[in-house]
Amino acid sequence: MDSELIHQIRNQACDLLESGTVKGVIGYERASDGLTARPVFAYEPAAVERLVFDETCTHNLVKYLLDKKAEKMAVVVKPCDSRTINLLLNEKQIKRETVFIIGVTCPGVVETSWNYKGQTLQARCQTCQFSKPLVYDFLAEHEPVERPKGELYLNIQEMETKPIMVRRNFWLEQFEHCVRCYACRQVCPGCYCPQCFVEQLDPLWVGIRIAPKENELWQIMRAFHLAGRCIGCDECQRVCPVDIPLSLLNRKLEKEVKELFDFQAGLNPEGQPPLATFKKEEELGFEE
Amino acid sequence: MKLFIFKEEVIRWLDQLLRERILVAPVQVQGSTLFQPVSKVEEIAFDFGNTTLSPKGWFLPSTEVLFSVQSNDGQPKLVPATVEKDAVIFGMRPCDARGIALLDAPLLREPGDTLYQERRARTSIIGLSCRHVQPECFCTSVGSAPNDPNHVDILLTEIENGYLVQVITEKGKALLPEALAESEETLPPPLEPQAVPVKEVTLAIRELFNNPYWERLADRCLHCNICAYVCPTCYCFDVRDYSNKGNLERVRSWDSCQAPGFSQIAGGYDLRTTKGARLRQRFYHKLLYFPEQFGAVACVGCGRCVKSCPVNIDIREVMSDLQQLEAKSGC
Repeated sequence: MDSELIHQIRNQACDLLESGTVKGVIGYERASDGLTARPVFAYEPAAVERLVFDETCTHNLVKYLLDKKAEKMAVVVKPCDSRTINLLLNEKQIKRETVFIIGVTCPGVVETSWNYKGQTLQARCQTCQFSKPLVYDFLAEHEPVERPKGELYLNIQEMETKPIMVRRNFWLEQFEHCVRCYACRQVCPGCYCPQCFVEQLDPLWVGIRIAPKENELWQIMRAFHLAGRCIGCDECQRVCPVDIPLSLLNRKLEKEVKELFDFQAGLNPEGQPPLATFKKEEELGFEE
Repeated sequence: MKLFIFKEEVIRWLDQLLRERILVAPVQVQGSTLFQPVSKVEEIAFDFGNTTLSPKGWFLPSTEVLFSVQSNDGQPKLVPATVEKDAVIFGMRPCDARGIALLDAPLLREPGDTLYQERRARTSIIGLSCRHVQPECFCTSVGSAPNDPNHVDILLTEIENGYLVQVITEKGKALLPEALAESEETLPPPLEPQAVPVKEVTLAIRELFNNPYWERLADRCLHCNICAYVCPTCYCFDVRDYSNKGNLERVRSWDSCQAPGFSQIAGGYDLRTTKGARLRQRFYHKLLYFPEQFGAVACVGCGRCVKSCPVNIDIREVMSDLQQLEAKSGC
């Protein structure tokens, strides 16, 4: 744990709360296992003493801004999470002036679950392209950060070499375990529809069965809705109670969009995501 | 003298049982341990803390058909779903067995949930005492124990080379193998999981209904359904009819009070619109409404929700917080 970094975060949070610049600060505190981190909302200056930052701070806190649109909030943002800020600005879900971004330089986070802290960096951190946030109002930085230089999409390329039926069966088997708890949706900063398609009840769009066909429909629709929008925080995979490797699916779609449109979500605060753009001259690929 | 069974005899016994009936046991599936019907004893995971999902799914499956209506030459015929075969669950922890006993209260109460009732009657439970306390569990605070023999038909307690066997019910007696030995060994001393102030908060939390605590706690909550789906005592479900070429099925699937739309009623009105109200409902049902109706806290201390919550909403911590809030408000 880098105490200097934490000191900077706490000081900044305290200033913001004392001056009334923000209503609250969304950061990390120690979880009930005494080992890992969990999200915390600090509303009073005294509460900033709870704020921590270390390699267990895996959560993407930007999701919470969607619940707090009415008031200005500060949020602790890792480099990867900062892409979420851009995504939500691109999609007009948040206003830049109602968010104060406490950026942190990040040496990467490890695999965690309750009462468990892994030794190695998460897969996403091994190919992370950024050592500091793309957008911030204040930057907490201390020790220089070295990024591992892992190559992107290695596991995708490996998957792509397999015959289509092997891939199909792999995913069907994965989806069979899905219990439709929707934790993947609830944690995803790109999932913010006021009413999700699986909650269209009258008429029902997707059956209520927790069964292979319905699970497959849910998972495929979820993945496609995130094509060109997923910023790769892998939170969906982390929260899945039955360990479905959702990141593999999301990265595949990310790779497709990158190849087709030379676009990666959340790299710029301006600009339109390709699948939210229509150009008249585009070929649609079918008879018009 | 205690009844005793050697480890290799257990394998033979289970092999015998699965020839006669469905054998449901803990199985390792990727990173999870799940109760599943097994076709070979080798599939069974014997060494586990507790399973990822509770065994309630055997009695109240995540999805099941309640009945179907088939059309034969224009004559509709109602076909109720039935349970085909006897089953035995092996390896249920005492806390989970208590969970099933708690489900009995609402589901067997007249007029009774027919399918649940049938599965309950046709399933025997071979319990397995816990060898280790898990960091997240607290069964002794909610009326159970790591070696609690109530609510199972047979309880096995692992000692060197085998298991001590306690036969609890007639149903259990009928399952017993011939190869039982006797042992002079006594039961190992009970394990002691941590204590949580359950008694102190139960029934007294009514005063805290409008406390801002709930909205604050809900700030962090994602409102996914994980806690409800891993919980041995959550039993809410949704029901829908499906038609296909003149045939109809009525299906029920698990549902959760944390889901948006769960409390929406006819006309679109939603009884619990805020995140805090939804999260409060979870704890009020467990710690107030269920005890008022059925006389026991709807929590068995398995700690699955503690372990599975992606943002660490920890029921043990909530109970301590409530206790402190009560002390402050003087109720």
